[in-house]
Amino acid sequence: MNKNPYKILVVDDEPDLQPLMLQRMRRSIRAGKYVFVFAGNGVEALERLREQQDIDMVVSDINMPQMDGLTLLDQIAQLDPNIRSVIVSAYGDMKNIRTAMNRGAFDFITKPIDFDDLRITIDRTLKHMARWREALTSRDQLVTLQHELDIARKMQRAILPTEFPNKPGYRIFGDMEPARNVGGDFFDVIPLEHGRVGLAIADVSDKGVPAALFMMSSRTLLKGAAIGSSEPGDALREVNDMLCEKNESMMFVTLLYGIYDPASGKLTYANAGHNSPIVVHPDKSCDMLPLTDGIAIGVMPDLEYRQKTITLSPGDTLTFYTDGVTEAMNQNEEVLGEERLFEILKGASSKEPEEITRAIFEGIKTFVGDAPQSDDITCMTIYRAEN
Amino acid sequence: MQVTTENKNGSLVIVTEGRVDGSNAPEFQEALKDAIKEGEQKVILDFERLSYISSAGLRVILMFAKQLRRENIAFSACSLIASVKDIFAISGFDKIIPIHESQKEAMAALG
Repeated sequence: MNKNPYKILVVDDEPDLQPLMLQRMRRSIRAGKYVFVFAGNGVEALERLREQQDIDMVVSDINMPQMDGLTLLDQIAQLDPNIRSVIVSAYGDMKNIRTAMNRGAFDFITKPIDFDDLRITIDRTLKHMARWREALTSRDQLVTLQHELDIARKMQRAILPTEFPNKPGYRIFGDMEPARNVGGDFFDVIPLEHGRVGLAIADVSDKGVPAALFMMSSRTLLKGAAIGSSEPGDALREVNDMLCEKNESMMFVTLLYGIYDPASGKLTYANAGHNSPIVVHPDKSCDMLPLTDGIAIGVMPDLEYRQKTITLSPGDTLTFYTDGVTEAMNQNEEVLGEERLFEILKGASSKEPEEITRAIFEGIKTFVGDAPQSDDITCMTIYRAEN
Repeated sequence: MQVTTENKNGSLVIVTEGRVDGSNAPEFQEALKDAIKEGEQKVILDFERLSYISSAGLRVILMFAKQLRRENIAFSACSLIASVKDIFAISGFDKIIPIHESQKEAMAALG
């Protein structure tokens, strides 16, 4: 028990009880375990409870003038549902005992009072109450934390792109659905010089708040590096060196960054351990972007990131995604997998990136059913328009 | 997920079974940490029965590798199934963690 002394309200219309109680409980009182407050009936008891809000529990007789113990139980429940009550009843009065228990009494003892039993009952009640209060406190903390997580979620969503280039020559769209309140995935669309555009997708190891913080700093570093360098490999190297400094938590982020040139349809990219984006051609054949053998970012410094270049033909779409898409799991513990993702991409009703994004999320939902989402789901598509 | 250990020819073999993902990565981390006793010189992570590992699990392996390097303990991983091997390859972890086809090869490599 963490609080001393506990304050106990004893309600009984027999005046003899007060001295008897104080005498029989004197050791516990002297030891600073309990303090007693007395009332002669239910009405007085409620007055005491209103005056003294630090009363922890009530021990009450049933038959009393003005207000009986059973009515008092109802009133206490309304006044403070966290106060625990023990009822004192005549031996064998099962009917009243049942009524008292149904009205929320925690326990009962019988008359004549056996003080050893009363002591045990009081201790048990107080112990229960201490646990109950702890549970209430942690629930309140949880609510606060939940509230903070909601703010973090909003902040995190706010940094993801919401406006996408919508040009005659190409369109881009993407979205993320975090698994917990805050996620470790992100994607970005970064306008660069000469009409070029930077495209990034990333997945931080682990989920929750630490991953979200790591995601925020990765994303900010990438944005800076992207604007300062015309080669994706240089940008990744810069982000990696920055993130490797002081990375005690050994978090890492898989990150694929590419620069798209709308004039030529060329995409030059470097990949730090991220899964390969998928190209869907006008004839519905699919290709995966070749890997560039890069190591995830944050693992070790001084790494070079190799680049590759592909050309998107008019009518091609290129979809970036995180493993939350391909590893989405249904109730039979089957994963969505690349083949099903190919089918979803091919089955989309148009090549507009917004429609493809919708089709992916819809396809995952249909596949997963009621199974809980265990990972962030992120995808982004670029479409090179047919002339 | 289940982690068991055995001593074989002077190496500590740590066998991981099942799935390692965000939900059990902390347990995985504890299990690996507990497996290492004082005076250990060679450690083999046997992943033959590891069916899946997420990035949260890779991070645990990374931290474990760092700890072993710090303590001068030689280590390698072995017997990865194809899909797990892919996960190591895509993330580039196969360049950081020495990976062998079998326990026997891993032991030979550790000397």
